[in-house]
Amino acid sequence: MKAFLTFILIIINSVSFAQEQAEKIFEKLTPSLYQIRLIDKASGEKSSIGSGFQISDNGIIATNYHVISSFARHPKKYRIEYLDNLGNKGVLTLKSVDVINDLALVKREVSAPMSFFELSQKSPHKGEKLFSLGNPHDLGMIVVPGTYNGLKKESFNERIHFTGSINSGMSGGPVVNNDSQVVGINVATSGNQIGFLVPHDKLINLFNNFKESPPETIEVQMTQQLMANQDKLMHKLLTSTWQSKPLGNQGIIPIIDVPFIRCWGESNADKTDALILTAVANCSLDENTYISSKFFTGSVEIEFRYMKAKNIGSMKFYHLYEQQIARAGAGNRAGKDDVTEYQCHHDLVTPENKTITNKSILCTRAYKKFPELFDVLYLGASIDKNQQALVSHFTIAGINKENALAFTNKFMEAVSWK
Amino acid sequence: MEIIIEEISRGHKLLHRHRLSNKSISIGRGYQNDIIVDDPHICAQHMQINFENEQWLISDENSINGTFLEDGKQNADQHIIEGGDIICIGKSQLRFLFADHKVSPTIHFSPFESFINLMRQPLALFLTIFLFTIIAGSIIYLNKPLEVNFSQLFVPAIGMTLLFALWPSCIALISHLTKHDARVMAQLGISFTFFNLMWLSDVFENIIIFNSSSSFILPALVALIPIALSFCLFWLNGYIGFHMPAKRRIIIASSITILMFGGGYLIEFSNKPDFSIRPHYNATIMTPSFLFTGSNNVESFIKDSEALFTKVQKKAASKK
Repeated sequence: MKAFLTFILIIINSVSFAQEQAEKIFEKLTPSLYQIRLIDKASGEKSSIGSGFQISDNGIIATNYHVISSFARHPKKYRIEYLDNLGNKGVLTLKSVDVINDLALVKREVSAPMSFFELSQKSPHKGEKLFSLGNPHDLGMIVVPGTYNGLKKESFNERIHFTGSINSGMSGGPVVNNDSQVVGINVATSGNQIGFLVPHDKLINLFNNFKESPPETIEVQMTQQLMANQDKLMHKLLTSTWQSKPLGNQGIIPIIDVPFIRCWGESNADKTDALILTAVANCSLDENTYISSKFFTGSVEIEFRYMKAKNIGSMKFYHLYEQQIARAGAGNRAGKDDVTEYQCHHDLVTPENKTITNKSILCTRAYKKFPELFDVLYLGASIDKNQQALVSHFTIAGINKENALAFTNKFMEAVSWK
Repeated sequence: MEIIIEEISRGHKLLHRHRLSNKSISIGRGYQNDIIVDDPHICAQHMQINFENEQWLISDENSINGTFLEDGKQNADQHIIEGGDIICIGKSQLRFLFADHKVSPTIHFSPFESFINLMRQPLALFLTIFLFTIIAGSIIYLNKPLEVNFSQLFVPAIGMTLLFALWPSCIALISHLTKHDARVMAQLGISFTFFNLMWLSDVFENIIIFNSSSSFILPALVALIPIALSFCLFWLNGYIGFHMPAKRRIIIASSITILMFGGGYLIEFSNKPDFSIRPHYNATIMTPSFLFTGSNNVESFIKDSEALFTKVQKKAASKK
């Protein structure tokens, strides 16, 4: 009984300790916390909100890129404002962005050196208690305790898995450890108690680069970052092992063996009235790069489809097969202001292995604001078997010409019949 | 002296023909005249023509609306008639001819005549329409993603045949209304023959597209075949249904062709969104038995595709 009581006391103690700590942290840090608002100049009202925190005594504030993305894309339409804990408002200027890691640096005018958040020098350890700060749904600044759960395994660009509620509006807010040092930045949520943070070292890099040489223009900086990221991603994809796996009875398809490309499968084997047996394997990169609410890039989607005729002639099989491949579309969202229309090329192609002949279609569109970057779409449809077909298809967004062609080449060579 | 007087319509189509050998001929609305013209704008005793000094002379009987030569609207009173003259009285027209008037040379039967005669034979007609129905049915069958029974194919196929029969029927009706032979069977036979030829050209076009890469020019040329076929169809429709000069028939047939394809293109063009987010590629595939050409290797496909990137990059730069 005594032991039981002690146990309860310890629990009560630790809970109140955590609360006390949260309060302390909040009190100490709140003068350096801001709500970041994007004001539409024409209407004078705020069009989006997020959180931000000061990281230097001269007024540099860190936030998410997606909080200020509308300004980065249309600087004439918007202005950025901050709102501090005392209700003061002021204009912010955009200094630097990291579009890949969803970070941005903005600056307020300061008359005297101010207090700021210290960036941690080391990563947290698994299970460490962290505190996320931000202004969810414009309800006022809050602090949310949570736990560090390591880096997300399937992500290409590192993200911290944080167990704690992050809500919209908290984006751009800091996550601090017990010593009030920043270890991450709120970026996304994935439902109940699962949040994702940008690791603090990305912010340190961005801040150091900014101090060394501020970017020429935000657009050029974004182009360079997108270009470097696709190079890194495509290098990883092209140098990883491509495992040959069977699909259906006869098809051989490549599965790229990297943790951040995840595959799912499906078939209609249970549908007895279907005229064609279809087995589909889908692989995709789970993350993409946010450029604006209507323009995403950085996605990779691969799909393989094996089809076999059941009790129908090859003429009919090919007619239905043609309908299946007639309407492929882009994998990423983009609009008229962001990209050109697709241009396509098609031909009949037999790869080196000589086991398959495909009708191959390659389409591409260019980015209007980011030169030398393209979205590509490939579709290969086998045309050498009367009653069977193998469709190989991929879309990659935000890639340069060399990588696009190298990937297409490797992909086309990797699909075959048994 | 014999004279031939033709009552003609404004389009110079013959309404009545009179052959007279009197020396004096009276023309008017009254029943005492040699030629009675039923036109309220003509006087009861409108005009006379008289044979004097080996010549026919027109004399107007002080009519209210006058008598005029067709060309130039010049008064025809005291005009000496020449063969082929046309005069206007009221709102009617008369043409005067003499027995020695030259007629235009005989037109040979066109080589299509025997073809048309063949196609209007009941058996040939039946086979053509039957073939059309079979093709329509099989296309419906090929495009249905689910299991289908015979009646599900039969009803739409017949419906499609009836729909396509509207065109020759309309032509036949029009030629009947314009006082020509209807020749329904010939119109049906010819039209369905061409409809079948158009199915065939579709298949041919698909084979060409399937066997060629997007850098070939041939598929674009093959797309002209249906246009040529339509022109031939309209020409033959006109040939069967109406008597008209060859030049006019060509003009009419090409106008309908241009109207149909040009109009179709215009509609497509006006419906085309100003920016299309989907790629437009040609997905035509056919069974391996239709594959006649060899295939490329990956390397040359990649090389051919390189140009695409330059093309879109240029577009991106120009549209800024």
